[in-house]
Order: sequence, then structure tokens, then C-alpha cells
Amino acid sequence: MGTPAIELKNITKRFAKVLANDNVSMTIGEGEVVALLGENGAGKSTIMKILYGLYHATSGKIFIDGQEKVITNPKEAMSLGISMIQQHFSLVPAHTVTENIILGNCKGKIDYKAKEKEVQELADYYHFDVPAGEYVKNLTVGTQQKVEILKALYLKARILIMDEPTAVLTPQESETLMQFIRDYVAKGNSVVFITHKMKEVIEVSDRIIVMRNGRVCGQIEKDEVATIDEATLAYKMIGHDLDELQMPGEEDYSKRKKRVVVEHVSIQPKDQVALLSDISFDIHEGEVFGFAGVSGNGQQELCEALYGARKLTSGKIMLDEEDISTLSVKERIKRGMGYVASDRYRYGMVADMSLSENMLLKASYLSRWIKHGIINWKKVDEDTETAIKDYTIKAPDHMISAGSLSGGNQQKVVVAREVDMGDSMIIFDQPTRGLDLGAINYVHKTILREKEQGKSILLVSTELSEIFSLSDRIAVLYKGKIMGIYKNTELTTEKIGLLMAGVDEKEEKHHEK
Amino acid sequence: MKNNKTKDFIIWTILAIVLGLFCSFVFLPMLDVNPITAVSIMFKDTFSDTFTIGNIFIKTAPLILTGLAFAFTYKANLYNIGAQGQFYTGCICASAASLALGGKLPGVLVILIAMICSMLGGAMVGFIIGFLKARFNANEFLISMMSTYVITFMMQLLLRTVLQESKHEYLKTDYLDSSTWLPKIIPGTSVSFGIVIAVIAAVGCWFLLYKTSIGYRIRVTGMNQEAARMSGINPKNQYMIAFAISGAIAGLAGLVEVNGMQHMLLTGFDTDIGSYGIGIAILANAHPLGVIPAALLFGFLQVGGTVLGHASDAPASVIDLMQGFVMLFVLMSFFFRRKIELRRLKQQKIAGEEAV
Repeated sequence: MGTPAIELKNITKRFAKVLANDNVSMTIGEGEVVALLGENGAGKSTIMKILYGLYHATSGKIFIDGQEKVITNPKEAMSLGISMIQQHFSLVPAHTVTENIILGNCKGKIDYKAKEKEVQELADYYHFDVPAGEYVKNLTVGTQQKVEILKALYLKARILIMDEPTAVLTPQESETLMQFIRDYVAKGNSVVFITHKMKEVIEVSDRIIVMRNGRVCGQIEKDEVATIDEATLAYKMIGHDLDELQMPGEEDYSKRKKRVVVEHVSIQPKDQVALLSDISFDIHEGEVFGFAGVSGNGQQELCEALYGARKLTSGKIMLDEEDISTLSVKERIKRGMGYVASDRYRYGMVADMSLSENMLLKASYLSRWIKHGIINWKKVDEDTETAIKDYTIKAPDHMISAGSLSGGNQQKVVVAREVDMGDSMIIFDQPTRGLDLGAINYVHKTILREKEQGKSILLVSTELSEIFSLSDRIAVLYKGKIMGIYKNTELTTEKIGLLMAGVDEKEEKHHEK
Repeated sequence: MKNNKTKDFIIWTILAIVLGLFCSFVFLPMLDVNPITAVSIMFKDTFSDTFTIGNIFIKTAPLILTGLAFAFTYKANLYNIGAQGQFYTGCICASAASLALGGKLPGVLVILIAMICSMLGGAMVGFIIGFLKARFNANEFLISMMSTYVITFMMQLLLRTVLQESKHEYLKTDYLDSSTWLPKIIPGTSVSFGIVIAVIAAVGCWFLLYKTSIGYRIRVTGMNQEAARMSGINPKNQYMIAFAISGAIAGLAGLVEVNGMQHMLLTGFDTDIGSYGIGIAILANAHPLGVIPAALLFGFLQVGGTVLGHASDAPASVIDLMQGFVMLFVLMSFFFRRKIELRRLKQQKIAGEEAV
């Protein structure tokens, strides 16, 4: 193939304390569709944003056509023929297609007629059904994306990076997009396709690069792509460091009382795909119930539904034999539910408030620290100091703002509070995401300790090792449905990989025949 | 760290005020006024007799309250631009109650009733704004601003009809019965009990915001609405509560002005009191106790400016010039303060990382 169009060598990118890309190397050849596959937060977008000049690598080199280049901003990237289509479009809705496309690329007096003709010709050349004179606000999302692509093509891009391009498209629109990608690379250009959807990857790519935790963890070469199946890909994407598991004891919980019962819960927004459909499960006293699955398959919705932050379309949720389906978050907190949200910064804490104030967050209607509406700050401060000691939170005192702590210590604050609030049930949604090993270990120990106390625990995680080492029973969520509920010992990595990819067991057997 | 922040804030704000005043004096020669004599006149004459000093407090009292009104909603990340309207509502309610009951009931009782009426009136206007925001996601900035116009004209209407003086000559009410006047607290001046009410209100606001669960919920909503929702706090309720309280405080300013100073209601008075309140709240960084010195400064500038106007050829608009410059510099100081804070945080972080 000669010199690749683009070669990234040993790129490392560090954000404050997070290692987003760790020694990533890859090549993109001419006339090739490369898929960058990985879970959310695997570092796919980061590496491409470095190539596009939006981020700057901490270390590493970029070669374009064999020559080393330093790309400091998107403008430079564009002049090298690299263009990136972001997940969120950067179009001006109140302008026409033509105006959007020539934006920033024209000087002096503009001959709109000529430009419009030029744009229309370009669109027709690629068989894009885009009216050049129409206002962007009147276009569908799919067409808007085409405008974004045209914008890149207008600048003579030869390497097109697309970040999750099909996320917003209907199946038909996706099909047209795939068609375009094939046409486009046939003309000697290259496409990098960032996605976590396995199906389309197999469909369109020449080569697949799998990323996990900021590293390239696998490549599927041209000749293998045709034969690979989704389960293998899922397995690669999620990781195989599953050997060193310490399974929890095979205790039989079925004789203990059921604290949480969820029956046929569905959430169906109007005119949209169901977020959750017909979810039923129960959690016994002292049991950890794990939810595995690729993120974005309804996990957050499920947690929020349990906690009362989302309305159910149908179904019932029982806590300690009481129907809580229609109770507010406030009422559920009163009944001893704790919730460690996956996005702690957004849902779990107030960054500008002190640690004490954050400890009080969920208790503002409870009488624990408040008498006749007046807060007993002394007691809150004392309890916060105790939590700082108990959880070895690295903080000078209870006065410091939560936002000034590191991610791991912030999470410890949130966990400390929720464990404290959740007397009957605690929901952990990706409790260790973005934490360092020490903090992860601590959170795991806390979960097991609370389990010992007879609380029911719901654990959502995309880390299979975490699910396996903590849960007594495991359910797999795929597109808002439970693919099956298994005892921890019943599942193998292969099996869970298949379930996470949405392959049903029966279907599987069918295939084997 | 917290101490550092407060210290920074005080130093920078004082610096900004001094610079702002300095800059406004630089303009005085253009008006044929010698800036140095102007400064000396302003300070000497203002503080020369107790009556003028008293005037500062008279001006300060309602300013504290309108400043508080803005600061309070600001803590919920809301903007109550309509303190002026809520203030007028308070004026109307206070004067109506005092006129109706004055002389018939003991003065103290009437004042208390008028106080409750003025606060309820303001609270109602505030609540409506908060309700519209919560229910229809209306822009509270615009609604609160427009509500001022509505109320101003409603006041005109009332002054032409039911509230108009017995002679039916001017757009004003009769004098309130002297038993309903707020008592004077400093002999030799017109300083009324209003300033005490204002200071108590400021302390009350501080207590409410920082020591009670109601205030805590309002602050949480202001700083992270999503986290509030996830903690069982309904942000929409907080909007309504915050706006109602804010309106009540602004309404109370109405009582302080009507029963404490004017002793009647007339058209088109204190037209800037709401907007000064915004400036004062910003000057105080929206801290309820900080509002007191900020309002004092504004009170002093107003009195000093008037004195200057009388003693020299400087036009009355010099006051606005001074206030404008002070505000400008205070806002700029926010920017610099933030920069310094960021740099300090960065250094701390680097130090922290190196330690690891």
C-alpha cells in the first residue's frame, strides 16, 4: 500500500489526571474505511480530535503522507485535507445550505448565485439530495449531516473523520450514508468511522481498530472483517481481563426475603423507541444484583426509574412490600434508597458547595440534621469529618468545596453519603468509572460491606470484571430489554459477550443447527 | 482557602470603588469643577452635620432591601429585575392599609398590618413571576422586568381613583395618620426605624439562606439544578419560593419608604430604586450581609452627589457618573479576581500532583 495517508505514532494524551490516550499508534491508508470501535470513554474521539487539531497530544507524532506534521488547530488540519464531522453539528440554522458551506471560506463580495450553483453541483456529484438554497433549520437531521459532509468536501477533504455519524439517523438515512462512504473511498479518499455500534462496523469497514481504556487493544485486518461476528467484537471491545475473578460465595438467596421487586416496567416516550421494555427482576436481602451491558442500553434510565426520577409508562416497583411506583424522589429517599449516579458531577454533587453541604444534599427534607427547618451545621460538620476519616477522603477539612477534590475523592464523598442514606437499597451506577485502582478497591469493599448488612444492592457496570466479582446474580441489558437473568456461576465470558451484543441464546442454538 | 477568597473579595472591591471614584472625578474638570475641591466638599459637607449623615441612612434603608431582593433570587440562579414593581406594590399595600386603619387602631398595630400587607403584596407579585417560570418555563428576566411597567401603571390608576387624595388635585394620597409613621430613632435627623428593619431583613436573609433547609434548597437549586432534582428537591418549587421571598423583601422596602419617609404615596418617586438594588447586589457579590455596606456606599454617593450639586456647579447627574464608574470597576474586579483564583488553584493542583 506504500506510505499510509496518515500515521499516528505513540500518541499519549493526558487530561489533568485522566489518561485519555496511552501510546496509541495507528495508520489510515488511502481509499480505506477504518472503523474505530470502543465503548464510551475508550478514547476514540480523543485520538481523532488530536488528529483534527482540537486537542494537542501530550506526546507522540503525526505523519501525513510520510511527513511529520504538527497540527495545532482545525484550520491546519483542513489545509492538509483532514476534516471531522462532530456528533453535534456546527451549522447555523438560520442560514441557507450554501451560506453554511462557504462560511469562513470566502472573502469580499460574494456572488451567491455562482456559489449556490457550485454547491449544488457538488451535492449532485455525490448523489446528495440537498437543496443548496434551503435554510438549514428546515432540513431533517439526516440532510443536515449531509450538509456537514458537503462542508468538508467543499474544502477538498480527502480524509473524513465521522464521530458516531449514525447515532442520530434513521435506518434508511444510515443506508444512504453507507452508500456515500463507499462512493467516497472508491475515489481514493479515506474515512475514519468512530462508533460503538458493531453491526455497521462490519458492514462498511475495511479495517477495524478496537480501543479500550485509551489503548488500542486489537485490530481486525481486511481479510478478517468479512468473517468476524459481533460477539467476538463485543468481547474485544469490553476486554478479556476476566481471569482473575474472585466469585462471591454460592449462597442461596432465594430463601431470604425479597426487598425489591420490579414488575413489567416499561418506559416508552411518545413516538420514540422504548427506553425500557418489560423489565422484571427482584433483589433479595443482602444480595448484589448486577446489570451488565454496553453503556447506553437503558441502564441509566432503569436506575432513574427505580429512584423516582423518571416516570414509568407501565409496571410496578415494590420496596419492602410497599408499592413505590408513583412516589417522588423525596419519598423514596425517606424510605431509605441511595443512588450513586454514573455522572456524579451532574447528578450527585454540587461542585461549588462545601463537603458538609454536599453531605446534606439528599437529607434536606429529613429530620436527621434539621430541626424545625433550621440546619444543625455543627452536627453535619461532625458527621462529615467522620466520613472523611472513615472513607479516607483526601480533603483538608469539611469546608473545602467538593469541586476542588480529585475525581476519586469526590466519588468517595458521594458513596459515603448514599451508603448513609440508603438503609434499604442502594443503586450503584458505574460507581468506579474514571477512578484509580485504590479508589475502585475502596468502592468495591464498601459495596460488599453494605451487602453484609442486609441491604439490597443494584450494581450497573460496563466493566465485566466488576460485575462478576461483586454480583450474586447478573442480568444483561440490551436495548432496554433484559436478555436473561443468571446466577453468577452460570455465566461464562463468551455467553455474556453474546448477550451483550443482543444475541439471544435460542437464536444462537438455531444458528448452530 | 475560603478566607483567602473573602480577603481577595474585600481588597479588590475596595480598590475598585476607589478607582471608580477617582475616574469619575477625573471627568469633573470638563464640567468646570475642580475635582479636589469637589472631593473635599463631598466629604466635608456630607459629614458636617448629623442631618446630612442621617440622610445617608434614609437613602440606604430601602436600597438594602431592593439589593437583598435581587441577591436572594440570584442565589437560586434566577434574575429578579422587577424589584421596582414589587417595591411599588409594597408601597400601594402599605399606604392603603395605613390610610384605611390609621387613627382607628393603635399606631404600632397599623404599622405591623401595613408591613404584613406590603410583604404579602410584593410576595404575590414575586410568586406570580416564579410560577410563570416554573409552569411555562417563561423567561423570568423579561417577565419580572415587564411586571414593573404593569404595576407602575396600576399604581397610577389607583392614584387617580380609590387612593387619590381628598382634594382630588394631584396624583397622590392623603398624608398618612402620624400614628402610622415609623418612629424616628436618631434625634435631629429624619432617620426612621426603617434602617433597623432593613438591617434585620439582611440578617434574616442571611440566616434563611445559610442556616435553614429552605435556603439550602434554594442554593442547591441555583448551583446544580440536576443534582437538586436527584435529591428530591423540586427546582420549580424553589423558583416560586425564591421569587416570593424576594418579592416580599422588595415589598417591605415600600413600607420603609411610605411609612418611614414620604408619609404618603405619590406618583413617580424612587424610580431607580430597583435598578440600584441590582447594582448593590452585584457589588456585594450577592451576599446578604455584604448588601449592607454596598447599600451604604450607594446611599453616601447619592447624598454626597446632591451636596456637591448644591455647593458647586456640578450637575446632579454626577451621582450617576460616580455610581456608573464604581459599578464598572467592581465588575472588572470580578474578572481579575477570578483570574487570580484560577492561577492559585492551578498552583495548588500542580503542587498536589507533584506530591503524588
